[in-house]
Amino acid sequence: MTINKMAEALSLRPLAVPEGERACSGVYIGDLLSWVMGRAQSGNVWITIMSNINIVAVASLTDVSCIVLAEGVVPEEDVVRTAEQKGINLFCAKEPAYELAVRLNGLGI
Amino acid sequence: MKELSLNILDIAENSVKAGATLVQILLAETSDTLTLTVADNGCGMTPEVLRGVTDPFYTTRTTRKVGLGLPLLKLAAEQTGGSVRLTSRYIGEDPENHGTEVVAVFHTDHIDFTPMGDVVSTILTLIQGSPEIDFLFRHQRNGSTVELDTRRLREVLGAEVPLNSFEVLQWIEEYLREQYQT
Repeated sequence: MTINKMAEALSLRPLAVPEGERACSGVYIGDLLSWVMGRAQSGNVWITIMSNINIVAVASLTDVSCIVLAEGVVPEEDVVRTAEQKGINLFCAKEPAYELAVRLNGLGI
Repeated sequence: MKELSLNILDIAENSVKAGATLVQILLAETSDTLTLTVADNGCGMTPEVLRGVTDPFYTTRTTRKVGLGLPLLKLAAEQTGGSVRLTSRYIGEDPENHGTEVVAVFHTDHIDFTPMGDVVSTILTLIQGSPEIDFLFRHQRNGSTVELDTRRLREVLGAEVPLNSFEVLQWIEEYLREQYQT
């Protein structure tokens, strides 16, 4: 499923979607960036509550298909700008990570 | 915590609760480290209490004298490969020269380093909540220094002007933000 379709199905709020037609597969949830760096897989939807600039670097390094900020977390403007520049899809959502994961599972991701 | 400025607020609140009349909040940056020092002249801690404050399960909620500020600061520092050092002189043992000093070292080039956040708001929150206490804030970075000393402010304003009056807080905010811009 593409990022655009997934985001629409979950009613995620788009912050930066430079690669909306990219396919997503699998989900990774984690907040300790060094841990995520070693474990998230290419193509994953990465759900986190961390919103500092380093998340863009981690997403870029692990090649996840998007970052979803859970629990209503909103990043600083420079994070959104950098995500756009680096080709990282970035969304935010009101729901906690578990709720999002359950709904992603329902979509077959 | 998501921002270091919130950790700083938490640690400085401990100093306020310890009855300090002067709280020093010092930040010193090198190219790859940040050292935070919070030093106060409050009542200090006995060696016994001191040993327990970084252990989140040390005592029950009702008898715990400080919050989770120190364990969380320790976590934030250690997850960057840094450390926290704690020294304290208890008022009961050293009535002349008592207080606590927390020194945390962060490796800023580590991916798990949490950004500073809005430290100016932290300082304003502290002054607003405890206008009778003096705060010395100093942030040294790339050769420039941002500084605020409420003792000097009091000298100029006189004792009758409370530091948490709107105009004073507004001035402090502008004064600090201006220094950060240069």
